[in-house]
Amino acid sequence: MHEILVHERALMRYLLRSWYRRDEIHDLRQDVYVRVYEAAAKARPTMPKSFMFTTARHLMTDRLRRARVVSIDAVGDLDALNVLIDEISPERRLSGRQELKLLTDAFDRLPDRCREVVWLRRVEELPQREVALRMGIGEKTVEKQIAKGMRLIAEYFYGDGHAQHGSRHHAAVDAGHGDGDGQQQAD
Amino acid sequence: MASSRQIELVASAWLARRDGNGWSAHDQLQLDAWLQEAIAHRVAYLRLDAAWRQSDRLKALGAGMPAGRVPERGAWGLTPLPESHATPSASGIDAGPPVRSAATDRSGSSSRTMYGAPKSGPRRRLRYAAGLALAVLASLTWGWRHYTAVEQSSYRTAIGGLQDVSLPDGSVITLSSDSRILVTLSRNERHIDLQQGEAFFKVAKDPGRPFVVSAGDRRAIAVGTRYDVRRDAADLRVIVTQGVVRLEPDNGPGGRSQPTTLLPAGSIALASDAGVVVSSDSVQQAEELLNWRSGFVSFHDTPLASAVAEFNRYNVRKIVIGDASIGTLRVGGNFRWSNADSFVRLLELGFPVRAVRGKDTIVLKRR
Repeated sequence: MHEILVHERALMRYLLRSWYRRDEIHDLRQDVYVRVYEAAAKARPTMPKSFMFTTARHLMTDRLRRARVVSIDAVGDLDALNVLIDEISPERRLSGRQELKLLTDAFDRLPDRCREVVWLRRVEELPQREVALRMGIGEKTVEKQIAKGMRLIAEYFYGDGHAQHGSRHHAAVDAGHGDGDGQQQAD
Repeated sequence: MASSRQIELVASAWLARRDGNGWSAHDQLQLDAWLQEAIAHRVAYLRLDAAWRQSDRLKALGAGMPAGRVPERGAWGLTPLPESHATPSASGIDAGPPVRSAATDRSGSSSRTMYGAPKSGPRRRLRYAAGLALAVLASLTWGWRHYTAVEQSSYRTAIGGLQDVSLPDGSVITLSSDSRILVTLSRNERHIDLQQGEAFFKVAKDPGRPFVVSAGDRRAIAVGTRYDVRRDAADLRVIVTQGVVRLEPDNGPGGRSQPTTLLPAGSIALASDAGVVVSSDSVQQAEELLNWRSGFVSFHDTPLASAVAEFNRYNVRKIVIGDASIGTLRVGGNFRWSNADSFVRLLELGFPVRAVRGKDTIVLKRR
């Protein structure tokens, strides 16, 4: 799994560049992972990265074929899909220090409350119950903030948060489920 | 079919619940069921789990920070990453440990959240003046030392050896014959790498520091319990005599994904490439397999070939089955494992077996 996740950033860049509907990118990414996972269960791909990009290209082509109305833009973009993968995103192996920097950036991008919860739980290693006590919020809220923290850190750390900017839809979902602000008084 | 966003929400909710208190075997079953439902579920789960594990490394930043305070954004003293296309070597990241370089940054403008202070708004922050700088530095030195204080030691036994290892946390490891472990104790985890052989773990309770025994591509995790892990080539056996142990694949590079298994007391789990088989016996029966700790091996209707293999774990002078047809004979009883000779003599008395005693081997033949 790790071998694949390190390329998420490149994959997202590729999808963003190639796919005309931003709101579908999150789904596309999932489909890519599902395909890669299925394939890896049978035999580990020798070149996981190019395998992943080829998969992405096939999926986009499939989607275009299935779409009833294909915009001229999309067809034009499809040609771009054939660009050599390694030109699109040169291989980047991050050093431990760079990864830490990336991680802190991801952490710093979290909303205030979520950031506090993640810090107390992850760095100070307080149990969720303890975090709730310290912050004077409910345990359920802490759990929700942790779930949210995971999603955002994954998004920022692996994918550079492209899907965030790309989709209004996500923001709406987050406000509905992820954020416990509305609950605080009740707790 | 749920959208990928919804799946991600559910996956994160599961992980957050698992991260919390009161995760039960029932919860685990439900989670397993959900993961089995669709590959999309599994993929989303693994991805978030990987990210959450990564975030563990934020602890490197926590070293030296006073407890209970969340530092300001960007107060890390890490230089920014170069543009995303640059090569790693071109990065301007300095060589010093992050917390040290952070010292100068933080002593300058120290504003942070503090718990216990009256809270009226979401962004209540207390402003500190330069006087704090000294305190920060002091705790920084302490914290840095604390953070780097990762104790590592390795232990090994020769064939026939048996050794009790007491860890600083109060846990005791009994190392079986011809076994090797590497113990790493850090602030957040007690990690034992079982490199060879078998060991019994009597784990002192410490919920904040899970006790993780890794063996090849699997890990057996406990908080406070007693269990045994034994490694035979690619196979792994885990016996739990108290508490609950979580057996999971070690998702290292290329981690094959296999479900996590919760093992209550009395479980005997055999893990191989094919998967995990768990038999749940009484704790007493499970204990019997662990008699090696007091110098005995116990057999119940055990094929002679397995019994011999068991003896050979503990003895340099190996017993060899010279005639395949006797390997299936069934034997029972308690034997002192250091005394293979008397075991062989008993075999000669009760079974159609003849022993040819050499210097390094005892060959068993059909009489």
